[in-house]
Amino acid sequence: MNILVMLWKNLWGGSRTLAFPARPNVTERFRGLVQFDPKLCSGCAICKFRCTSRAIEFKGGKGEFTWSYDPGQCTFCGRCVEGCKDHALSQQSACPPVYTTIGELKTSHTIARKPPAAKTAPAAATSPIAATATPVPNPASTLASGGAQ
Amino acid sequence: MNLTTALARLLIFPGLLFAVPAAWFFLWVERKAVALMQGRIGPPFMQPFFDFIKLLGKSTPPREGIAGLLMKAWPLIAVSSAAGAVALLPVLPSYGGFEGDLILLLAVLEIPSICIIAAGFSSRSIFGEIGSAREAVLSVSYNVVFLLAIVSIAASQHTFRLEALAALPASPLRWLGVLALLVCLPAKLHLNPFSLPNAEQEIYSGPMTEYAGPELAMWELSHGLEWVAATGLVATLAAPHVTLWWLAGLIFVALSFAIVLGLSVLASATARLAIDTTVRFYWQCTLIFAVLAISSALFMRLKS
Repeated sequence: MNILVMLWKNLWGGSRTLAFPARPNVTERFRGLVQFDPKLCSGCAICKFRCTSRAIEFKGGKGEFTWSYDPGQCTFCGRCVEGCKDHALSQQSACPPVYTTIGELKTSHTIARKPPAAKTAPAAATSPIAATATPVPNPASTLASGGAQ
Repeated sequence: MNLTTALARLLIFPGLLFAVPAAWFFLWVERKAVALMQGRIGPPFMQPFFDFIKLLGKSTPPREGIAGLLMKAWPLIAVSSAAGAVALLPVLPSYGGFEGDLILLLAVLEIPSICIIAAGFSSRSIFGEIGSAREAVLSVSYNVVFLLAIVSIAASQHTFRLEALAALPASPLRWLGVLALLVCLPAKLHLNPFSLPNAEQEIYSGPMTEYAGPELAMWELSHGLEWVAATGLVATLAAPHVTLWWLAGLIFVALSFAIVLGLSVLASATARLAIDTTVRFYWQCTLIFAVLAISSALFMRLKS
């Protein structure tokens, strides 16, 4: 008879679900839409390689490349963000918005390729100029990704 | 009954104009009640209607040959027979219902079940075939009890005529028969704990697995009409005899609503039983109950 008590409590205890279009509160580390920062992207396409749901498309061209993202195909697994060495990708801490047209949330960026960094002598690697040319990984995010694994 | 009254019964009340919205309403009540008892909001009031319209607008995959034709025909036959069963109910005793008796009503009520079995086998899907086999086994199990309950009611009241049964005062044995009918309703309506044929998360939706679009809409409507007919039958037999037509209609609707709520509570509170447990339940426990009811009814009839 415990089940009847449980049902009675559920009946008067309010609902645990939300009526559309209300969205639930999410935690800080919630994996939402993938955000792309074109300034940081070097066009390595590792995100496309890691995306098993084929939500990320990458087309390389002469002097530029096009990065596209379709949230309709995304499973929000976060593997692209984990694999991005340039930290150009991140994920929103919010539920993805509701959309009514297919491909409405699809984004595409065409970015000019950055000129390759000039090769420097090993002795010059510690110079202040070389340090600014090479992106320095964020220690905090490295720790976080290491902790998540 | 003249032609105008017959058409009014078939098309207005308790026929199509009442039965189709009532079917959607009962489907909503069941879904909403189960949702509330599970701590969910549940669907909005118009959801079954929206589902129906949405399914009507979808296209179905082309199916060639006789199997394709049969797959189109089964849901239409099921809807027609379920609507016919609702129209047979003598809801308004002052005018009477259609010229039909309990046996006709039972036969018409059984047609949707036979259509479901045939539809599952016609679809050539493994899930459909499993669902159909389960529906057949379930049908054989609960129908014996269902028929014995009806016979016990008829024997105790000395008539098979629906109009006469609705007008006669209820005897204690009639209540026993009504109780046996109530035990059969969850199986007839594929509700937990007897939701074997359309066992979700197990065999998808059984015989309905291969159905989509307008054909699935017809199955949904047929299921809703079965709700109205089956609960309406119990409500007709359990309702007290009232001469005021509007009060009789009101009692019919209120009793049907109460039965739907009761079935929803049962569906929420129980889990799906295995096929052998279900068959054992109907053949061992309920059959004894039904046989007792019919033997008592016959004994009383012989005595009087």
